[in-house]
Amino acid sequence: MKVLNVDIEKCTGCRTCETACSLKNTDRVQPSRSRVKVINYEKRGEFHNYIPMVCQQCSTALCMEACPTNAISRDTVLGAMLVDDQACVGCRICNMACPVGGISIDPVSNVAFKCELCEGDPECVKYCDSEALSYVSLDRLDSSMKRNKSQNISELFRLMQFLK
Amino acid sequence: MVYGWAGKTLQVDLSTGKISTTPWDKDAKRFLGGRGGNSWLFWKHSKTNQDPYDPDAPVIFGAGALSGTGLIGASRMEVTVVSAAKTESHSLGNVGMGSAWAPELKFAGYDHIVIKGKSDKPVYLNIYNNEVEIRDASSVWGKGTFATEELLLDEVDDPDAQIASIGPAGENLAIQATVEHGYRSGTPVGSSLGAKKLKAVVVRGTGAINVHDPEKIFELNRRLVKSVQDTKKRQGVASIERAEGKDAYLQGFLVGDAGVIGNYESHDWRNRPDVKQQYEENYLGEYFVKNVGCFGCPFPCQPLYSLPDAGANIWRCYPTYWPWKLWMSDLSAAFKTHRMCSDLGMDSKEIATTVSWLMHLYDEGIISKKEMDGIAFEKASTEALYETTRKIAEREGFGDILADGPTALGNKLGPKAMEYLYLNQGLTMRTFEFRAEPGTALGEAIASRGNSLRATTYHVVLWDKPAKDEYEGPDPQETADSYAWSKKKFGTEKAIAATAYEGKPIALIYEMNGAAIADSLGYCTSMIRPERVGAPGSQFGDVSYEFAADRFTAAMGIPMTEKKLFEYGERVCNIERAIIVRDGRTRVTDSLPDFFFKVPVPDGDQAGLILDRAKFEKMKDEYYSLRGWDPASGYQKESTLKKYGMNDVGKQLKKMKKLGPMKEGKQ
Repeated sequence: MKVLNVDIEKCTGCRTCETACSLKNTDRVQPSRSRVKVINYEKRGEFHNYIPMVCQQCSTALCMEACPTNAISRDTVLGAMLVDDQACVGCRICNMACPVGGISIDPVSNVAFKCELCEGDPECVKYCDSEALSYVSLDRLDSSMKRNKSQNISELFRLMQFLK
Repeated sequence: MVYGWAGKTLQVDLSTGKISTTPWDKDAKRFLGGRGGNSWLFWKHSKTNQDPYDPDAPVIFGAGALSGTGLIGASRMEVTVVSAAKTESHSLGNVGMGSAWAPELKFAGYDHIVIKGKSDKPVYLNIYNNEVEIRDASSVWGKGTFATEELLLDEVDDPDAQIASIGPAGENLAIQATVEHGYRSGTPVGSSLGAKKLKAVVVRGTGAINVHDPEKIFELNRRLVKSVQDTKKRQGVASIERAEGKDAYLQGFLVGDAGVIGNYESHDWRNRPDVKQQYEENYLGEYFVKNVGCFGCPFPCQPLYSLPDAGANIWRCYPTYWPWKLWMSDLSAAFKTHRMCSDLGMDSKEIATTVSWLMHLYDEGIISKKEMDGIAFEKASTEALYETTRKIAEREGFGDILADGPTALGNKLGPKAMEYLYLNQGLTMRTFEFRAEPGTALGEAIASRGNSLRATTYHVVLWDKPAKDEYEGPDPQETADSYAWSKKKFGTEKAIAATAYEGKPIALIYEMNGAAIADSLGYCTSMIRPERVGAPGSQFGDVSYEFAADRFTAAMGIPMTEKKLFEYGERVCNIERAIIVRDGRTRVTDSLPDFFFKVPVPDGDQAGLILDRAKFEKMKDEYYSLRGWDPASGYQKESTLKKYGMNDVGKQLKKMKKLGPMKEGKQ
């Protein structure tokens, strides 16, 4: 199983993912309909930080649990949560239940829309040169994240040995 | 269905409050958008010799044609005004900027905005799709651009809106004032907004841009990403330095090749241990935060630095030359002043040239503390730099006079002071050693606005570097290949040799047309460049015009080739020439100050080099002929304008008797 992993420290805020996502899913360039959205925390002259927000395909999918019309189901192969456009009534309860803001209502179709992992070949990651977005195996992701986080500790070890 | 373009322009009259739209289709096919589209709209909406502060003088904003089409590296905007530093030979003020304003304008549904009239009270324009409002700006009038952005985002209650604004310098009609968006501003256009009492243009768009072939766009984007990654792998060290934010430093080196110490007092930057060593020792590396970039480009190239006692700003090529321009060793002072400029909304390049001139005058004993409000303009004085910047923006003391341009202060200080002020078409000179680079000199003299950053491109990407031994480029093979390319493209290897006269007009026209294409498409000039391999910036992978043409076709659905793109470039350069000729430019004023023909480079690798008047004029002859302009007057020929589908422009110039003669040879 692969997941669309977000590394917020690497995001440069360019929003190429938004253009790619909207073009892939709607055939037009329209960031307001992108499944992934880069949230900016900017104060010009002070700081520029960016966090890409996108559905994490939760193992306990609150959107699915909350949906009163059973419009949301899981793709057993990819693990992606899928929206049934016919069943969705646009009530926004999924949006209220979602802890990461990964599902909202499409301004054009008026039904829920979210990242469905592009049938296993997410378009957004292909242009993310800084690798803030990556599509990686869940089992590998865990150790690579641990490795990243361990780097500070490793540096500390090195310094401690140096002090001896 | 319209592909690529949003399909309409927005007209706003600040006097009457009238807001309307018109289609942007036929004109788009002729002038694309961005700089080309703006120039065309400027031609249509401005009057001959219009005063920059005439209420009817247009302020034009434009998005590049490919902005918002999902193509990587196309995100640039353009602002065009009657230049506040207007003289009889200089009227067109324009500047291009990246970041995210242009795509947002497209998503809101517009390609260009034409703003006319004048408001009595401070206002800002708020655009949210088809809801366009002129709003009260009294809460932000007088504020710097940093605070303005924060307050307006709060006021429109949309953190995703994009803002282009002026600071106090623009409000106070300082000719050095810029329009600021992101940190990408350059050439001054800000006081034209100030005169209209227009503080900012806030844009938010949630609409869509149609593209002709989405699959092809993906394919070309993937190809671009791969070619950048391959180039980075090949270039190794250079790209690592870039990734670590050393880019500003490298840029400094590159510009330093033609860099000038002081007010054209020395050219020996590389061999001055005092300047160079201090520069290296004081490099601000530890304050590098990260690179930030433009909308839709995953290769951020703007190094963001944050100094604990100053705050953050982009630290790129231009201010990094201050150390040698102003004899400075204190890089943090240069950084802080540059940040002040971003906030006050003014052009750091104008500040540098002005301060270096005043330092020269002080050194020669022509001015003293007395005339300069008690400030000693000693070389490297950070106080002089801070205070000049602040006083211009606030119009205080000598800054009040300087805000009308260095000429105004020069006239007051007397003829001796004017002697040291080198002006081109009434504008301050950029920091380049024109005496060592005839091609750069020709570009400076002939461009529609010589002293803009825009006129820098041929120096940076086209000529080889005089100091090659210090900057070899990442790959020696590339240097050899680039001479072979020059031979093939321009008929001589010398065409890209920086210090040679040979082949310069044809090479310059190629690069000027190329830059016009990029600026009209909203394409980053780092991503569309002469095919000269090994040129700085080639870390951006496939930067060819052919590739650009393919991308244009994919987005617009209009078959495009490299050749056809260059016809567009030629047309854009011609509409700009028509504007400046209409307003007074002639062959005679396509020139440079006598200084560059009389005083040789004093020292350094190019010691003794000087511009040769006869050879310079010969280059001009060749340039006009290649352009299809009349060498005697510098005016365009009717046949040339006709060739580029600009009969309407030709007709108007004919009425003004500003066309070259009908027959060849007759002068």
